[in-house]
Amino acid sequence: MSQRQPIKRAEQIWGGRKRVFYSDDAQRWFEACRDRGLTAPDWPVEYGGGGLTPAQTKILQQEMARLSCRLPLYDLGIWMLGPALLVYGNEAQKQQHLRAICRGEIRWAQGYSEPGAGSDLASLRTRAEDCGDHFLVNGTKIWTTAADKSDWIFCLVRTDDSGPTKHHGISFLLIDMETEGVSTTPIKLISGESEFCQTFFDNVKVPKENLVGELHGGWAVAKELLKHERKMMSNPESMSEVFNISLTKLAQDAIGLDETNVLSSPEIRSRISQHMMRDAAINQLGMRIFQQAKAGVSDPRLPLLMKHIGTQETQVKDEIVLEILGAEGLSFDDDAASQQARTMLERWAFNKSLTIAGGTSEIQLNIIAKRVLGLPSGESA
Amino acid sequence: MILNDEQRMLQESMIDFLNDQAPVEAFRTLRDDPSLGAYDQQLWRGMVELGLPGLTSPEAYGGSDFGWLGMGAVLEEMGRRLTAAPVLSSVVLAQELIRQCASPAQVEDWLPPLVMGEQVLTAAINEGPHYAPDRLETRWIDGHLSGEKTLVMDFDGADGLLVVARDAQGDAVVVRVAVDAPEMTVHSRRLMDGRNYASVVFNQTPVHAHDVLAGDAVAAGLARALDITAVAMASEMLGGARELIDRTVAYLSEREQFGVKIGSFQALQHRCAQLYCDLEVAASAVYAALDALDRQQEEITQLASAAKALANDCFQKTSSEAVQLHGGMGVTDEMDIGLFLKRSRVCNQLFGSSDFHRQRYASCLGI
Repeated sequence: MSQRQPIKRAEQIWGGRKRVFYSDDAQRWFEACRDRGLTAPDWPVEYGGGGLTPAQTKILQQEMARLSCRLPLYDLGIWMLGPALLVYGNEAQKQQHLRAICRGEIRWAQGYSEPGAGSDLASLRTRAEDCGDHFLVNGTKIWTTAADKSDWIFCLVRTDDSGPTKHHGISFLLIDMETEGVSTTPIKLISGESEFCQTFFDNVKVPKENLVGELHGGWAVAKELLKHERKMMSNPESMSEVFNISLTKLAQDAIGLDETNVLSSPEIRSRISQHMMRDAAINQLGMRIFQQAKAGVSDPRLPLLMKHIGTQETQVKDEIVLEILGAEGLSFDDDAASQQARTMLERWAFNKSLTIAGGTSEIQLNIIAKRVLGLPSGESA
Repeated sequence: MILNDEQRMLQESMIDFLNDQAPVEAFRTLRDDPSLGAYDQQLWRGMVELGLPGLTSPEAYGGSDFGWLGMGAVLEEMGRRLTAAPVLSSVVLAQELIRQCASPAQVEDWLPPLVMGEQVLTAAINEGPHYAPDRLETRWIDGHLSGEKTLVMDFDGADGLLVVARDAQGDAVVVRVAVDAPEMTVHSRRLMDGRNYASVVFNQTPVHAHDVLAGDAVAAGLARALDITAVAMASEMLGGARELIDRTVAYLSEREQFGVKIGSFQALQHRCAQLYCDLEVAASAVYAALDALDRQQEEITQLASAAKALANDCFQKTSSEAVQLHGGMGVTDEMDIGLFLKRSRVCNQLFGSSDFHRQRYASCLGI
């Protein structure tokens, strides 16, 4: 039953060579799921997945949520790299990497952004020089999530800059972080934690077989992967801490009800109500997208909205939480407030990154304006 | 939450019919000529021929049982064209009051003429300037009705009205009254949305017991009928917001200033993109509520409140933004944008403002 309690961040099972289990129960739960392919339920069985259809996967997720089951494995390989490899990887790459991901043996970091290439990702300058049997990689990647705890990193690198557009000449490389010349420095964030790092590549030799997709054609792989990243980020609670703090319970406890059982702050009451309506509606939008896909009548516009809508609403919730907590929620010090209040404050601070990482909200709105609404191109990229 | 093949076909045939019979210009004609009444009778006869009044009623009463998602799709298309017809008043509200509140024998007697489109009934719910269905002061005592009702929709085209009141014990009842009943004063007029509404004063209007729906089922039935109507209203509002976004995007893609299409400006693009996001969020709440009705879910109050509040916010913001993004043309009567703006504000008040529904949703949450 210990595996049915809401999970704390320290208890999450991330894969990799540095993997640790915080309890025997956690290890048993992980191994039981792993051996049944439930760490990646919708991947093919031959690569260590569960072989389930999307509809079956949805049912599994709903049932696991209903039973308060924990996610057996947290990993960017599961959420992002694996789905892209299934589309663009060759057979040898799938054999080498997918099973290791499902089994939690290798933890992956993401090497996309650079200090000079954020929203304008395609202007990236980390270079991979063709040296016959290997590439020689030089440059730096930033916001590499948990790179200091990861084993491998998937990177966008420049292999050619003579192409017609800056999107041409980008290639997608898989790099073992134990290779000589790879180093990583954590970046301290406003939450006081260091989820993100900067990773440096200094004459790093990468074997040719680690190229995914076409040479100079990595942008297609990058976009496929971004689709999965944005889907994941639209519902951050699905991938991070199970943070199902009930807003209504929190408000009842911290603010109190009047004699007619109405929350004593009318303003907070309205804001909670508005947020919970929108939150439910966003889930219903996700359900619509799923039902459309199942019926073969997908509206391709709808998934493009989810990242912006979901992250925006998460921040609305965070601000309400902070206001409800009052003075309880204003300190990052260990002894200053309850553990729960401090966790919520850390979430508030960390979640500011949700509307920036994985394509800022402004980039999402650009995409919606042009690709969904068909507004004319002009001054903005 | 998605339409099945039959419902999609219904939607398509409705689009053809409305494009032909009820484009926005048709509403404009109606608005500009008060002598035409509450709605175009010929348009309504066409809707009856298509079976629209029976969409949500069982086949046993002459309906087609097409379901609420299907009805929602029809209302969205009407909302896109500002179509004036007694659909919300007679097909949704009056039929639901009967189905939810009447005994089986009364349903058998009262419902079929509405389902067949032979009779048009409207309903008198509101008292005073704000939607507050629990504040019910109209009384039906000793066979006589007394009280004041406001915002009775489509009065001029109706054969009768269903009046919500309380009996001598204070229990809710639904009373059927003819439009020309004695001891009744009617002030019928148009509001800024160009539709017909009436204020009605009953001063000891005689009503026979066989024209009254009473009993234990009425209070809950009345609440459900109003929730269903709020969801239906929200469907119409979604259509209005969809049309405004389409028209605004088209205008921004055409209008040039500084030598470029103004739709290429990021400041304007982002505003449109945000409107579209909010529209699909609101739409999802509305479809979830319609879907719950089709699954005959018992508890729908919370879903109905979310649907109406989010549709209110969406249509209100979209219509204001549409005016602004059309620039000077947006404030001219020549453009249709203003017609949608005015409709949105009336829709906001009918069957509950955002404030009403947010407070009610909070109560459902237990806070």
